[in-house]
Amino acid sequence: MLIRILKNSFLKRPKSVLLVLLSITMGAAVATAFLGIAGEVSHKMALELRSYGANILLEPTALEGGGYLREDDLPKIKTVFWKYNITGFTPYLFGVADLAAAGRHERSVVAGTWFSKEVQVPGEESTEQGIKGMAPWWDLKGRWPEAADEAIVGAALARRLKLVQGSELAATVRGTVQRFRVCGVVTTGGFEEEQLFAPLVTVQQLLGQQGKISRVLVSALTVPMDDFGRKDPSTMTKDEYEKWYCTAYVTSVAKNVEEVMSGSRAKPIWQIASAEGALLTKLNAVMLLLTLLALGASATAVSTSLMASMAERSPEIALMKAMGADRFQISSIFLGEILIISVVGGLIGYLIGNQLAALISHTVFNSTIASPLWLIPMAVGSAFLVACAGSIAPLRRALLIEPVRVLKG
Amino acid sequence: MAVATIETSGLTRSYGEICALKPIDLSVPEGEWLSVMGHSGSGKSTLMNLVGGLDRPTAGALVVGGQDLSTLTEDGLARFRREYVGIIFQQHHLVPYLSALENVMLSQYFHSVPDEAEARHALERVGLGHRLKNRPGELSGGEQQRVCIARAIINSPKLLLGDEPTGNLDHKSTLMVMELLKELRAEERFTVVMVTHNEEVAAWGDRTIYLTDGVLVREERTRS
Repeated sequence: MLIRILKNSFLKRPKSVLLVLLSITMGAAVATAFLGIAGEVSHKMALELRSYGANILLEPTALEGGGYLREDDLPKIKTVFWKYNITGFTPYLFGVADLAAAGRHERSVVAGTWFSKEVQVPGEESTEQGIKGMAPWWDLKGRWPEAADEAIVGAALARRLKLVQGSELAATVRGTVQRFRVCGVVTTGGFEEEQLFAPLVTVQQLLGQQGKISRVLVSALTVPMDDFGRKDPSTMTKDEYEKWYCTAYVTSVAKNVEEVMSGSRAKPIWQIASAEGALLTKLNAVMLLLTLLALGASATAVSTSLMASMAERSPEIALMKAMGADRFQISSIFLGEILIISVVGGLIGYLIGNQLAALISHTVFNSTIASPLWLIPMAVGSAFLVACAGSIAPLRRALLIEPVRVLKG
Repeated sequence: MAVATIETSGLTRSYGEICALKPIDLSVPEGEWLSVMGHSGSGKSTLMNLVGGLDRPTAGALVVGGQDLSTLTEDGLARFRREYVGIIFQQHHLVPYLSALENVMLSQYFHSVPDEAEARHALERVGLGHRLKNRPGELSGGEQQRVCIARAIINSPKLLLGDEPTGNLDHKSTLMVMELLKELRAEERFTVVMVTHNEEVAAWGDRTIYLTDGVLVREERTRS
């Protein structure tokens, strides 16, 4: 009988039903779209943030062996548990050299590094590593070094030594002289503007430190730090340690990298990791808030539509009450209607939300996305919650209807 | 002497400062057909609503079928209405989007379990066996009222209330409806309280009470 009542009720009042269905569908669609792209947005934002600097610094643990790391350990970084989260790394070897150019002399820091080097790891695709990929904000006038005797110089150093693209300079370290041709001048806004950057192998020869590096900057996709992530791993139980190790906290990724670089100590660069974590946390909060606001707006629309419908149906409700329907029976009819509309609205909302998410992803990130199937029960569930929330006031009004007043002859 | 189905003592109903029903003492024996007459605003519908558990008294005692209605909760009153009372309205008040059969089954649904065969039989008893699938809009006034009667009797009520049940009907339909009620009452043996301002309709009852401005002014036995 309930089915007959619901079926006929829907067929008799298609306009009211469609209004409620539309409100619920909109809420479910927006919730699906936002939740569908939330993961994508976080991932893309994290990738964007990764292009603004490394978040892990690898340094030698002690001064033994000259306080250096081994260059041939570097490919191992792409073999660790979190290898797919490591978006790039750049080795550095620092030394102080006497620079001479066009009659000007200055002692300055010389940095040997990879600008863009292909790294091949067995069983993995080759990747390009180096400054070029990790520091896209560097403003380079000229081009990146390609030959072993080419270098780029920081803007401040270039001004003092009157260096421009095409200039030549000599670097001398303990009697070893290396001639460089300047192929670019770089502005970074930081200490790099005081340095000369040359291919790692050249600087290793100049400094007499073949195969050695001073530090490695690593850029990794990580999750925002929380209280658990901040715990000292040495105080954790075995289970806690496993959970920590298997979560992409910047600390656990750093630990991961540290394990494969012999004699190294990995430290998160906290000002970057923290800012990044805070930004991602806020971004997720904004997405959640927008979803809740959309659902709230939808519930309000449902409530308004149902209120109007309730006024239209008050004689019917009064009659049911006069015939002896109690509050449970009246409620079950309305909740039955709401349940059916919610399921239909949730499914339609999922389909629309899926397309909306794809559109947003394509427009903003130029990528494709498919909403996961778990969003279907989520869409239907949120539609039902919206419908229930929107039904509270109308249902309350229905239960307060007095048959005597409404059915008065 | 028959057991009283309805027993009131000092029954009063006020709406703010307006007293729609002044203290009234009334006893209706089981199986009696009581007609309630009076002009508009005399309190007859108020009395019927109180007796049917559709409204609550402001003061006084009201016992129907052994139940003190003033002590029942909202859901208790709803249970009382569905288990004890059948109501026929002047405006029919049928659910417009349900067929005649479904309107009768709706009453069964709220009472217990819908039984299509039983509902069909009830409509056949009121002469509407050929109108089962028709919706209220497709029925005449007299036919709609007969659907109302079928709906009112489907759960075998002990008390049948009629609020001007023939008020919107022509003379021929009125006679048809009254004959039908008389037959059904003879078969089902329910008590009838019927509000009307039509002397002819009131004469179908065993007793008629007259209300004026909420006061029971007189009563007369219309049938021995």
